[in-house]
Amino acid sequence: MTTLLVDGQPIEAHAGESLLLAMLRAGLHPTSGGCVCLGGDCPNCLVTVDGIAYTRSCQVKAEAGMRVTREHVGDEEPALLPDEGMSAGSAAPVRHVHCDTVVIGQGDSGREAEREAREAGLGVVTLDARDGQHVTGVYPGPLVVAADGGGRVLHVHPRREIVVATGAAEIQPVVPGSDLEGLVTARAAAELVAAGIDLGRAVVVGESPGELPSGSLAGHFPLGHGGWELVRFEGNGRVEAVVLRRHGDAGAAEERIECDTAILGLGRNPRNALARMASDLPVRVVGSAAAESELPPCPRDGTVCPCSGVTVADLDGVWERGFHEMELLKRATLAGTGTCQGGVCLPYLRSFLLERGGRLQPAFTARPLNRQLTVRELAAGAHTAVTARSPLHDEHLRLGARMDRAGGWWRPWTYGQQDDEYRSVRESVSLGDVSSLGKMAISGPDAEAFLERIVPTRVATIRPGRCRYVLMLDERAHLLDDGMLCRETEQSAGDRFFMTSTSGGSGFFELWLRDWAEAFGCDVRILNQTASLAAINVTGPQAARLLARAGARRLPAFGRHQHVRVASVDCRVVRLSFTGELSYELHHPAADARKLWRRLLEAGAGFGVQPHGLETLLRLRLEKGHIVIGQDTDYDSTPRRLAHEWAVNLNKGDFVGRRAILRTNKQPLDKRLVTLRTDDPPPPGTAEAPSAEGAAIHDGDRYAGYVTSDTGTTTGGATMLGWLYLDAEGRLPREVTVDGRPARRVDGPTYDPQGERARAAVDVASESPENVREFPVARLEASDLAAGAPAERPRLRRLEATRVSATPAALDALVERPPWPDTALAFRTAPDELLVTATPDFEVADDPHAIVERETAFSYVWLDGTTAERFLDRECEWRRPGARPALAQGEVAGLPAKLWFEDSRTLILTPAPYAAAFERRLTASLAEIDGDAA
Amino acid sequence: MNEFTERQMKLTWRPPKASYDVVIVGAGGHGLATAYYLATRHGITNVAVFERGYIGSGNSGRNTTIIRANYGIPAAVRFYQRSVDLYRGLEEETDRWLMHQQKGILWMAHSEAAVRAERMRAKLNTEFGAETEFVGPRQVEELCPELDMSGGGRWPVLGASYHPQGATARHDRVVWALAEGAMERGAHVHQNTPVEGLILDGERVAGVRTAEGDIAAGAVVSAVGGHVSRLAAMAGLRLPIRTHRLQAFVTNHYRQQFGPIVASSELFFYASQTARGEMLLGAEIDPQPSFSYRSSHDFVQDVCRRALCLLPFMASLRVLRQWTGVCDMSPDYSPIMGRTGVDGFFITTGWGTWGFKAIPAGGEQMAELIASGETPELIAPFGLDRFARDRTMADRGSAGTH
Repeated sequence: MTTLLVDGQPIEAHAGESLLLAMLRAGLHPTSGGCVCLGGDCPNCLVTVDGIAYTRSCQVKAEAGMRVTREHVGDEEPALLPDEGMSAGSAAPVRHVHCDTVVIGQGDSGREAEREAREAGLGVVTLDARDGQHVTGVYPGPLVVAADGGGRVLHVHPRREIVVATGAAEIQPVVPGSDLEGLVTARAAAELVAAGIDLGRAVVVGESPGELPSGSLAGHFPLGHGGWELVRFEGNGRVEAVVLRRHGDAGAAEERIECDTAILGLGRNPRNALARMASDLPVRVVGSAAAESELPPCPRDGTVCPCSGVTVADLDGVWERGFHEMELLKRATLAGTGTCQGGVCLPYLRSFLLERGGRLQPAFTARPLNRQLTVRELAAGAHTAVTARSPLHDEHLRLGARMDRAGGWWRPWTYGQQDDEYRSVRESVSLGDVSSLGKMAISGPDAEAFLERIVPTRVATIRPGRCRYVLMLDERAHLLDDGMLCRETEQSAGDRFFMTSTSGGSGFFELWLRDWAEAFGCDVRILNQTASLAAINVTGPQAARLLARAGARRLPAFGRHQHVRVASVDCRVVRLSFTGELSYELHHPAADARKLWRRLLEAGAGFGVQPHGLETLLRLRLEKGHIVIGQDTDYDSTPRRLAHEWAVNLNKGDFVGRRAILRTNKQPLDKRLVTLRTDDPPPPGTAEAPSAEGAAIHDGDRYAGYVTSDTGTTTGGATMLGWLYLDAEGRLPREVTVDGRPARRVDGPTYDPQGERARAAVDVASESPENVREFPVARLEASDLAAGAPAERPRLRRLEATRVSATPAALDALVERPPWPDTALAFRTAPDELLVTATPDFEVADDPHAIVERETAFSYVWLDGTTAERFLDRECEWRRPGARPALAQGEVAGLPAKLWFEDSRTLILTPAPYAAAFERRLTASLAEIDGDAA
Repeated sequence: MNEFTERQMKLTWRPPKASYDVVIVGAGGHGLATAYYLATRHGITNVAVFERGYIGSGNSGRNTTIIRANYGIPAAVRFYQRSVDLYRGLEEETDRWLMHQQKGILWMAHSEAAVRAERMRAKLNTEFGAETEFVGPRQVEELCPELDMSGGGRWPVLGASYHPQGATARHDRVVWALAEGAMERGAHVHQNTPVEGLILDGERVAGVRTAEGDIAAGAVVSAVGGHVSRLAAMAGLRLPIRTHRLQAFVTNHYRQQFGPIVASSELFFYASQTARGEMLLGAEIDPQPSFSYRSSHDFVQDVCRRALCLLPFMASLRVLRQWTGVCDMSPDYSPIMGRTGVDGFFITTGWGTWGFKAIPAGGEQMAELIASGETPELIAPFGLDRFARDRTMADRGSAGTH
């Protein structure tokens, strides 16, 4: 015996029995009344268990210490919202099960289906509500979701078939008094008798439940033709008598039979909701779940839908007022929208509509959830999206940065003093982490032709060593993204390009390029280096001197790029400018980022170098009139509207968006993104005016647009970007007001309009040698994965490897005769891509356009085979390969991963920007697994 | 006894006639609102609305019932504010209980970039008539004490834009009240009568073809959701519309307690409590186009997980039912209303995830267009020809979730 609390009072329960049986044994009805079915089909035994309302007490086992409250007893109000839930981190654990066939229900037909499948050699999973496995839904996949009865959630993935063998529910009574206590279905009666619960004097109506204890039967009244029909139950709170009359004779005298319990065998209604919600999935319905519904007589009086409290009078009312469709009847009365989802009312709604309308209407739509799991249970296996981390993340934290999410990355918003950061850029030199930029290497025989069709600028005139700002347009000529395009080598030497996108666009960039390459049929190699390369922007009038002191022997001129060793780190140095100052963007292997960052700070100490955050960057660029995609642009921003016609060349061949530009250029322009300037100080008494972003721009009385970006007004005034509508004469006004304050449209940037600062000539050689710092060169070594052993406490480490993008045939030949040491592992991650744990000191003989690059984009961890399997059971939804060794790729713990399975150990690779999140999830998951095992 | 059972409205069904002044295809909110305003504002009642299923069986019965005007561009803010205003008076006008509840909507920001975006939204909306203010964490907490302001330690609430006129109403009742109002003035609504074709008289649309026979019409209005592209094709039109699934779900019902509508565009979900007490959750559209009404588990799974970050009390609530609607998305995330270039054929479509909140204003304006022959100023920016004229109405404010 176990003890649990119901409404604060202890009751005893037999081991293994349901909560409902324990309550009935103790003489407590779980609700204010209603027929009890013990089959989970009605709402008449709902209680709150341990704070979780709407729990079917017939479907949970009574357990010691359970705290049960009977919310609905004498209380028409629904349950209270809980004050608190479990902590946010506590989604329920999930278990993924892969099989050929899943059989739902283990009655006779379910067991038969299971036996047949096993005999056919199929892998079978069975689910049965009596074991606590409540199926909530059958979904595309196919996927069957169920509670497992042990606080866990099962995701069952059957490859062949779902067998629905859920049996039939018993039809509940709908007559006056059907909400009294003491009413049980025939099957429930048999179970109660078997459990030794005293039913007192019982009247059986309809089908008999079988043997009753001797002397307890007060009468048995068969239903239907030649028999009886149920009229009502009488009693006060609890049933005292059943009233019947002869079937089919409305004038017949009523018979009143006194009883303690009414046992009701009123017929069967198939439990086919799971089958109905899965109409085009491989579902087979067997046994009584496949039978036609037995329609009860049309209800005359009483409650039809106990969940929503809908009476026959309610049905009549809406019918009379024109609600004749099943779905309208349901929606107008709310019958069938409660916990039992029509389990009680649906057969009666059908018989009601048949009698009133003369037409048998189908059941209303079956929707998940068939059984209601909690939000906590349903969240099982889900992870919220992760924000990527730059390789310099910890450096920013060390420097006291406040990190912020922007464009899918954690970025330093500010290091504390925005004005100091601003001044260091404008007056001295500063570092900015731009590692989150999208970065793509592109080569191949068609590389130039391909890029000509992707970007609106002319690519042919970008000579090796040059770079150019480029737009990316969609087919409607709306701006998707921008970046820079650098040409590395001539056609004869592989024709290699390097291209960037914004941080926010980096996730989309590769898909965009590959999609078009495929669509155009271009012969190109594309290697995504977003995570592999970090990037630091060294910007400010002293930028060149800082780099010289860090050992740079040469630096590119404006609009050019060069490979330069800076502070003993190999960098691609690109000279363009977003801040308006002399700027060098240093792209380098992510593994070297921290080293380079620290060395640059050290080398620049004499200039008072300090880093600047995103907040400062947004102000700097605004003074130069540079747009930020998504802030200043919208889904209709064409180059013309953005005043970026200079970045479009219509005199070259076709490119994405060209036709749209030609078409829209014939239309008069309606609005343009302009720079606005106000020189007025902030209103008296305030140090600065609130940001005008979102403020309307007026041209006299005419609404003329709105502000998209604002530096904020200080004593020096403010610079803004905004959309300005042309006036009736097709002109852009010059003088406008913003928030009632005068502002002036200016042509070109407000800061350094001629761009002299960004284009300043520099002389690296003039830096005096005693200022130049020497830094040791780190020797590059590939990660030795072969020797990797599963760690006690799994820590992810950055992988040093090489990535190759080449034609499939060339890669086939390469792996046939590998030029790398035997100890290296090579993973064919795509037909045209190879990841190998060796140094990039080999060439791909059969493909002169192959890209072979040092790859530090991944972090890795080895797990021993058993640990890996248990971790993946929980965190990997897809079916893993059976062979060993094998490579598999997909989502694990909500993050992209590559898995390398060996006989006794498994390697997991995940992109380094997500490594911290992966490690956290891995650690938490393993701790839970250990907890489960204990 | 259930207070939510409908007890007032009366729907009157009549057999179809051979000819009407106006035939509207689709008896969802927009189709019925057009009939309602034609009847009530213009006295035009020789009108029929044809519906392939039952009234409100499409997205009008599948949305998350949110009414708001805090959109991203001036023309949209003005239009939706008109709808918010009409909704506020609709119970009185129809003398029907629509469960309209003004509860305010909080749009939460978890990053500095989002704070800027919400500040901008507040300013732009207020400027064009949709009162919205940016509120700090303290006020957010007062407005919705159930929020975990730390966002589960990962999604801290740095502030929110607050749009106090944000409201909800019972979607079905809005549909029925408009149907009833149109019917009682003489308009016909024909359920289970799919329109199978358009009747062309030269270049002009002159009626519709149905299983009940050909029906002549002075004007045909497409208020179809989901398969609008097929109907428009019958008039020789190609619409810039793609249809995507949108899902939602409710929990069991609980006592009224949860005040405002809360939304997070960074976590991509929103939640409110219905008049009946269910917690109703929704999120963004499925990325890939589809006409399927099938619900998926990963949607519920993911949204539950996101909701737990901000509303941890929900952990022990049971999810009752999930469903799916289909959204007609235009390239600029704005609706398409008005003439089509084909004589006699009008269209109201592109209702994406913002159709329910636009029902009264959409119907009112379409009715005025049909009655007067002039495109009202409020919807002039939303004509179909805007795509050819390069006058798209890109609206980031609607591209969010609801």
